[in-house]
Amino acid sequence: MQGVFSQISVLGASGVLLCGLLLLWRRGAGAYISAFTWQSAILAGLTAAIGYFGNDAQLYAVAALLFAIKAVAIPRLLRRLAARFTVSRESAPFVNTGTSLVVSGLLVLLAYAAARPLQAIADAPTKDGMPLAMGLLFVSLFVVVSRRQALTQVVGFLMLENAIALLAVLATYGVPLIVEIGVFLDVLMGFLVMQIFLYDIHDTFSTTDVDVMRRLKH
Amino acid sequence: MIDALLLIALLGPWGAAAALAAVLRRAPRAAGWAVAAAGGVSLSAAAWLWLRALRGVTTVAGPGMLFRVDPLSALIAGCIAAVAGLAMLPWPGPTDDDPEPGRPRTFRIFGSLFALSMLLAVTLNNVALMWVAIEATTIMSAVLIPLHRSKASVEASWKYILIGSVGIALAFAGTVLAYFDFISLLGRREDALNWTLLLDAAPGLHPDVLRLAFVFLLVGYGTKAGLAPMHTWLPDAHSEAPAPLSAMMSGVLLAVAQYAIFRWKAVVDAAGGPAFTNQLLTALGLLSLAVGALSLVRQQSYKRLLAYSSVEHSGLICLGFTFGPAGVFASMLHIVNHALAKSASFLLAGRVLARYRSPEVDRVSGLVRTMPATGSLFAAGLLALMGLPPFGLFVSEFLLFKAGFAGGHVAVTSAALLLVAIGFAGLAGHLARMLPGAAPEGIAAGEGPWIVFAPFVVSMAALVTLGLLLPDGIARLIGRIVEGFPA
Repeated sequence: MQGVFSQISVLGASGVLLCGLLLLWRRGAGAYISAFTWQSAILAGLTAAIGYFGNDAQLYAVAALLFAIKAVAIPRLLRRLAARFTVSRESAPFVNTGTSLVVSGLLVLLAYAAARPLQAIADAPTKDGMPLAMGLLFVSLFVVVSRRQALTQVVGFLMLENAIALLAVLATYGVPLIVEIGVFLDVLMGFLVMQIFLYDIHDTFSTTDVDVMRRLKH
Repeated sequence: MIDALLLIALLGPWGAAAALAAVLRRAPRAAGWAVAAAGGVSLSAAAWLWLRALRGVTTVAGPGMLFRVDPLSALIAGCIAAVAGLAMLPWPGPTDDDPEPGRPRTFRIFGSLFALSMLLAVTLNNVALMWVAIEATTIMSAVLIPLHRSKASVEASWKYILIGSVGIALAFAGTVLAYFDFISLLGRREDALNWTLLLDAAPGLHPDVLRLAFVFLLVGYGTKAGLAPMHTWLPDAHSEAPAPLSAMMSGVLLAVAQYAIFRWKAVVDAAGGPAFTNQLLTALGLLSLAVGALSLVRQQSYKRLLAYSSVEHSGLICLGFTFGPAGVFASMLHIVNHALAKSASFLLAGRVLARYRSPEVDRVSGLVRTMPATGSLFAAGLLALMGLPPFGLFVSEFLLFKAGFAGGHVAVTSAALLLVAIGFAGLAGHLARMLPGAAPEGIAAGEGPWIVFAPFVVSMAALVTLGLLLPDGIARLIGRIVEGFPA
């Protein structure tokens, strides 16, 4: 039983990380949104599985919330945005695909090094997934700083949120429910405000390539 | 019972004000004064909490010690209530130079919610809920930056929400790591994230896990505190935001982030000694001082000058945290002084901008002649920010440097002193170009009604009082904070 639990958590965490890496070699808003949708769905499934094996009914509620907000509601809004702007391609990211993949490989290695003190003290069967969560955290950060489409940056930010949710569920079987609800509220509100700003950027600059926003340097 | 009532009186008015401002769409004047009244009630509650903290009473309310106001919370809550109250005052009308005449409806709603989330952040005992509140401050304030939509304000708001949200997300990762360490030692408990419980358990926690957590927490909350190199959003957001919002963001939001860093530093220090956190804070503090001070020399926009001055002071406060009990005392005093001086300066800069219609230092001349009251109060604010006597910042900076030298941090303190001197020269040079001379053509002379200036005169009087005699009520409250945090 413990063996199955451990394998499921590593498998789930790998799936979540892979969806994050998809952002680096696929092009186009549609592909990014699908990657994020799948990532959230896998994360929700994993959360429910950990709830089952870890005997924690609260996690079912968290998984349901996660699925509803991050795998259904937010992707829907993202698709509406993408359709409106016709940003079909991340035409020229600041860092090209090959380099991006090498950097991400290094980041995942770094995550394994950073997570060593965590694994040393953990005794939960989920502990082997923790470096993968850290890896996704670093990769999402890299996506946010290396892409130039505002929409891609938003997806990178949402994946960062997923990475932290993954870390929380693997390391601690989830933070207390009241905190979880607060975090969901913040993510949702934050996303809604970002969405308004995306429309603002589009209306003001007639593009969502953040490279045009250079007025405020210095 | 009284505890719960006090907290309701501190927090409730802002929630009610936001709701009223949303409902009273047709009666903007009434809504404006409702918000101002909320500020008054909240400030009175904060003063009461302050008095209780002075008597050594910790105010606790809510299930599982949800809210807890110790001397540190009381100090920062007092600053927030005072600055928010000042910034939300709906000054009269079109004849006046108020940057946001009467405060538009969106501002009344989200400004109140912004004040509410800051107050929640410093009164909640649960560190994860504190994070939720601080993240909410980003959202509420970001909405208001493009109140007047322009290319620059849209860009500033995008930078702010993206960098702010990403940074603060990292702070949550740090919180999760600390929680993980706690429950792997003591098991799962609903109240495991209460700061008081974490602090008690800290000596038994794993120092290396907490150090990793602190790196995330410092990068995260440091982003909100405007510490270099994560400060890049700050000059844009603070200079493009409407003046009353800049006043709140610069005056107290930075202090809220410093508060979070300080709370976490106490936990990490209790586990593995202060050497690690002090090294990180010294590095970021010095870098912020350098970035702030050098930018003060070359900046050409007076609102950006004020923003970079915030980076500088934020770095100074961080350094003070590493100088032992005397340094913590100086930093806390500096937070109060900076809140008073910076909020007034930003609001006055908004008046200057409304009259001269240009944020460039070069386009503003003859300020003392065209706007005698605004000009002299603005000059006083800048002199205070430079750290000149008789203003309070002189005393807190003096105490801070003294603590640094006394603690044996000679190199760091000397470097900081040099950087503060450079910043001083930069600000002084710009101020000297704005005040004298003749006004550019087409800029009318004259001032609004005197009542508008009363709050600023009070701010300056408070700063002078802090500088000349350091009131007992403040010194004792900060003394209690220092006692509670063995550095």
